[in-house]
Amino acid sequence: MTAADERPLTSYDRRMYRLMNRREGDALHATAARRRAVVVGHVALTAVAVAAWLFSVVGEQRWATFAMLGLLLPWCVATGVINSSTRGLLELRVRALDERQRAERVQVAARSRSVMLWLLLAVAVGAGALTLKGADTEGYLFPVLFSVFVVHWLMPLWVAGLSVRDEPHFDEGVDGLDDLGDLGGAAEAADARPPRP
Amino acid sequence: MSEHVHNRLAMVRAERKVSRQRLAEAVGVHYQTIGYIERGQYNPSLDLALKVAKFFELPVEALFSLEPFRPLTDQVYGRNQ
Repeated sequence: MTAADERPLTSYDRRMYRLMNRREGDALHATAARRRAVVVGHVALTAVAVAAWLFSVVGEQRWATFAMLGLLLPWCVATGVINSSTRGLLELRVRALDERQRAERVQVAARSRSVMLWLLLAVAVGAGALTLKGADTEGYLFPVLFSVFVVHWLMPLWVAGLSVRDEPHFDEGVDGLDDLGDLGGAAEAADARPPRP
Repeated sequence: MSEHVHNRLAMVRAERKVSRQRLAEAVGVHYQTIGYIERGQYNPSLDLALKVAKFFELPVEALFSLEPFRPLTDQVYGRNQ
């Protein structure tokens, strides 16, 4: 943690905090199954958008440009849903996060790094095997590198989206101390299973 | 590796009629963090545990313990399980 992480929140930080904590779309990521579906959808949209971009830039296909533009809106919506489910874990500055969120952000970064390590290893092994076979891989260099770059960029978002736990029931007002359900939970809280290391 | 810390936060919070949101704002964390502590999914730092205890004006060991808490009825009526 740096000194910058302890500075007071700016108006930008506060605006982003409010944005990431809006509750209108909560139903879209209320359960683990929905969050998984959103992340899988985001991965698929990203894959198709990257392919379309490569077709338009490398293959010079005009239709691909329009396809990419068409995918932009659903991709942004899916990104927003994942960010909303994590309450801005990756989008907010560290100083806008509390101790639990900071710890989760570090965990997400570590998991993403592990996944990327294996992915890069697979790409390196694949490229090495093709080169040994004498295949002409030169034309694939840019598309593969660009795809890996995009995956590297978005992996933390996907990992964060899949790591989110179900939201504690919201109880804004005291009258809505609605989850005495959780209280069934004084016992439950006391006997809750230890978090996994 | 983390030791599990048992807590009575949900019970005390309900007893005092304090919402998660209000408690979270008072101790400077996200409301989800309070929920995860109550569920036993997150162990608070010493700093946060002390802030929560101060908010409720209770000793920290009244809220957090390494041993499971005895049910209140047992404590009040002195019954052993």
